[in-house]
Amino acid sequence: MGKRKVGALEKVDADLANLQYKVRRDPASYRDDFQNQYNQYETFRELFLQNPSTTDDGGIVSLRDLIDFISHVANCYPDLTAKFPDDLIQIISLHHEVLESELRDKIVGSLVLLRNKDVIDSSTLLNTLFPILVSTPSKSLRTLLFTKILSDLRSSNVKATNHKLNRTIQTVLYNLLTSDRASPKGIWAVKITRELWKRQIWTDSKAVEIMKEASLSDNEKVITGGVRFFLGGDKEREEMADDTDDDEDVDIGKLRHQAEINKKTKKKDRELKRAAATVKKREKKKNAPHPLNFSALHLLHDPQGFAESLFSKHVQNSKAKLALESKILVLQLVSRLVGLHKLTVITLYSYFLKYLTPRQASVTSFLACLAQATHNLVPPDVLEPLIQKIANEFVSEAAASEVAAAGLNAIREICVRQPLAMNDTLLQDLVMYRKSKDKGTMMAAKGLLSLYREVGAELLKKRDRGKDAAMGLRSGEMKERRFGEEETGEVEGIELLEKLKDEERRKKREELGLPLDAPTDDDEEEDEADNWKNWDVESDSSNDSDGWINVESDGEDINISDSDDDSKPPAKKARLSSGPPDAADAEKENSTTPSKSAEPEAKKISKLLTHHVLTPADLKKLQELKVQSSVTSQLSSFKKRQALAAKHADEGVSKDDIEAPAKLGKKMTREEKIAGAKGDREEHHKSTTAIRKEKKAAEGKSTTNKEKARKKNFLMTLGKAKGKQKRSLVDVRRTLKGHIDRSKRGGKRGNKGM
Amino acid sequence: MGSSAKRKKEKKQDFQKQKLRVGKGKLKAANATDTSFKAKSIALKQQSLSANAPSVEAQCAHHLALLNHKSDTQRRDSLAFLTTAIVNNAPGTPLPQPSSVILPAVQRLVLDGSNKVREQLLKLLQSLPKGDIASHSDQLLLHTRAGMTHLAAEIRVFALDVLEWLLGAAADEVVSCAGGWVKMLKCFLGLLGWQTDTSGKWSTPKSFGKAGGDTKVQVKQMGALALFLKAGLVPLTVAPIDLSGNGFPLWQTEHHVLSQRSNAYAHLNLFGAPRDEEAEMYEDREDRQRVFHERAELAIVAGLEQATKGGGELGRAAAHLRKIVKEGMADYRGEEIAQQ
Repeated sequence: MGKRKVGALEKVDADLANLQYKVRRDPASYRDDFQNQYNQYETFRELFLQNPSTTDDGGIVSLRDLIDFISHVANCYPDLTAKFPDDLIQIISLHHEVLESELRDKIVGSLVLLRNKDVIDSSTLLNTLFPILVSTPSKSLRTLLFTKILSDLRSSNVKATNHKLNRTIQTVLYNLLTSDRASPKGIWAVKITRELWKRQIWTDSKAVEIMKEASLSDNEKVITGGVRFFLGGDKEREEMADDTDDDEDVDIGKLRHQAEINKKTKKKDRELKRAAATVKKREKKKNAPHPLNFSALHLLHDPQGFAESLFSKHVQNSKAKLALESKILVLQLVSRLVGLHKLTVITLYSYFLKYLTPRQASVTSFLACLAQATHNLVPPDVLEPLIQKIANEFVSEAAASEVAAAGLNAIREICVRQPLAMNDTLLQDLVMYRKSKDKGTMMAAKGLLSLYREVGAELLKKRDRGKDAAMGLRSGEMKERRFGEEETGEVEGIELLEKLKDEERRKKREELGLPLDAPTDDDEEEDEADNWKNWDVESDSSNDSDGWINVESDGEDINISDSDDDSKPPAKKARLSSGPPDAADAEKENSTTPSKSAEPEAKKISKLLTHHVLTPADLKKLQELKVQSSVTSQLSSFKKRQALAAKHADEGVSKDDIEAPAKLGKKMTREEKIAGAKGDREEHHKSTTAIRKEKKAAEGKSTTNKEKARKKNFLMTLGKAKGKQKRSLVDVRRTLKGHIDRSKRGGKRGNKGM
Repeated sequence: MGSSAKRKKEKKQDFQKQKLRVGKGKLKAANATDTSFKAKSIALKQQSLSANAPSVEAQCAHHLALLNHKSDTQRRDSLAFLTTAIVNNAPGTPLPQPSSVILPAVQRLVLDGSNKVREQLLKLLQSLPKGDIASHSDQLLLHTRAGMTHLAAEIRVFALDVLEWLLGAAADEVVSCAGGWVKMLKCFLGLLGWQTDTSGKWSTPKSFGKAGGDTKVQVKQMGALALFLKAGLVPLTVAPIDLSGNGFPLWQTEHHVLSQRSNAYAHLNLFGAPRDEEAEMYEDREDRQRVFHERAELAIVAGLEQATKGGGELGRAAAHLRKIVKEGMADYRGEEIAQQ
């Protein structure tokens, strides 16, 4: 039965909205009326509790309306309504299954309203809503509760992180997951945690711990929810952060201009203020340091234990009845953990053996997982049979070209991470596929070849090694790395920075007329101070000689330089690895760098690294220098390899990476070709004027007076034109003269300046 | 489909109109099913004895269902039908529908928006046998109280009528049921605007929903309050069960015989939610006196003072009320003094 139409007369009397308005304005005067309504609410509630499933739509005023009214004005009479929130909580938590939907939603809304008016606190509200969310069979109520819970958590974390509340809720979620591992209710814990993680409200390890428990539960939905979080939660968070940055573009200049011209209303004023506030906020945000958020995978407490239990519980366990899709997800997570934290789960590799056949469903995912699970601490003899099997099953003349390409690529991905897993006969065999007619296979084989030219050229046949590798082997620069060997850390291109700094220092000294070396103490201190002052300043180039002159604190310098006044010869001696005095020397220096890198490691460590703290400006400069001198091309092979490995360790391998070369061989359809050729160019042709105009508008500039005059409505110009015709000759002359005069002066006010 | 001439013809035939002819009878449809059969004897399992009209019981049940109808005339008509059915019921025979069915269905209508429906409801209630009311008094009282606190003035006044009837039918049950005493007192104080807790020094503004109302309404309210207090406070003049006065081996028999009320152990509240002071049952007259003294007496006396000053009809009603209060509380004060 719908709501009965209420007659006009009835309305006048039973107007709760009107009363609410009056109560809000003057609570003390309407106390009696409120008391009456509250009494009525209590009687209605008693009636209702006799039979909670009834609807009381029959009367003029329903319980729903009364609840709405009271919750809106409850904060005016805290003494009268002390029991009201508890009543509501009792009704909704006892009878939510049988309540009529509108009343139920109203009660939920009222509780949230009471929370917003600070009548009840957040933890009460959430402790009420969450059990209902978990237990209710109604879908619409669940969605409502979910949004309400999330919004409340968000709003209570807006100003400052509400640690107490977060901890309570996290504990509730954790208990929900651990109390009954088989129940599907845990999905709500997963959903809430994921959403809050995405919005960067929960960024701590407790949230990760919840997800860890979810991944280890017994229900498939909960497991996949937890696993998906680890695999994609951080990316989602980043995307969300990017989205919020450019939500609306406010052009404050335009708004200000409009405010000057248009009618001045309060609304316009408010809008302008709000826009100014947003612009200011955005500026502040731009300057604020990037929030340092650790990824979920890094916040795990015990990755080894987690990976082992995940693997043994969901993947290896024959009793686990997971669908293949979810199993692959879990496997992805396990292999990701193994690769990222360099864990040792030996049984994982033998597990793969069974699945490495081309007929296996979604085998590329398995291949990707295997590659992901490989790192340089995996024993090569564990990987060898796997590679052998891939080679046997996938890479043969009989296999389809895509299969062969995928197999070769998978082998390459594994070998990038652990080059020692390959033996020479197999490698030489596989490399032969670079002569294949299929483009995908060919490219994959070439990839493998170029990889081994860098990491293990001695496994290749002599003629395959290439010039660099052969020469490197001959000179002894290229060595095979042993299992478990790690190289020492260093900063790439630090020598360039050092050189630059030396040069700057020299220039400054020359200007001052000081001896090039023999730095004085106060000079040094001053420079240090400068350094700290300009912590964040970009020192743009070498020509501003005042900012970034850094006097090296090399003690040797002081010791070596005697008090001689003729400066140059000792300077040259003193500077072993520092900048040369002129360009010719620089050339020489550059040419000698390779030989230097062959020197023992200990000598290579720069003094800049050991004696200074690099400022952000320094790092920026370093980056510039690296690009300028194209350091990357001169990088030794293992550095390149290191960069490659670093990229892979952070991102993981996906199915697409494995499949990529196979796609090379495919022919594109006509439509794809057209789309590719078009790219993302503009669809419509535009005239240059239109483009120019658009550009101006984008810059926030207006039109010129001439343009305005041209655009002016014809009818508006008529009156002036008529008047012009009736002028006397004298008048015409005067205006013409005035025009000439103005144009000479440059406008009415003149152009000559103030 | 069907491109051939034959098919087309067939198709056409389906839709051709048969010609009707005089004296030939109506032609049967092509898909008519012959339902005729032959049998030696026919036995019908259920035979309705009433040839044309359904029984009064069925009609009453139907009209009870119609009480939820959205049109108020329909609701009123249904109530009227029920009333006549009850009134016309021959004495000695049971009602067409028992009161335990009728009352839960109709009590909702105390809060009905339409005036006519409410009037008819009162007629129906008055036609019901008084003995049946007692066991439903708490439910009825809840609805009455909801009506008395209603935002609409008409419903508030009407609820007083219902209360008067209810007190006439089952006075003792009303004052002693759960929440029947304290909550009703509170409700009356609210109605009359005699609440004590608004102890502001400012003159109180006229209430929003015409709570005080004009004198006529106030007189009515005071009348109802007087009735209510009389039921609750003034001792009944019923002689206690006197089992020949001196039943030698059995002393105080009257306390051990089965109670005559329904649900005699309701005050123990075995299965309900725990009650507070307001919702508690006050079955004893002394209890009621004590609560009345604690919670309402001051306010009522103060209110009566004001009302008596008004004089006229209002003053008369106030005097009546005061008399009843005095009468009801006479022995209570005595007790207090005796204790001291």
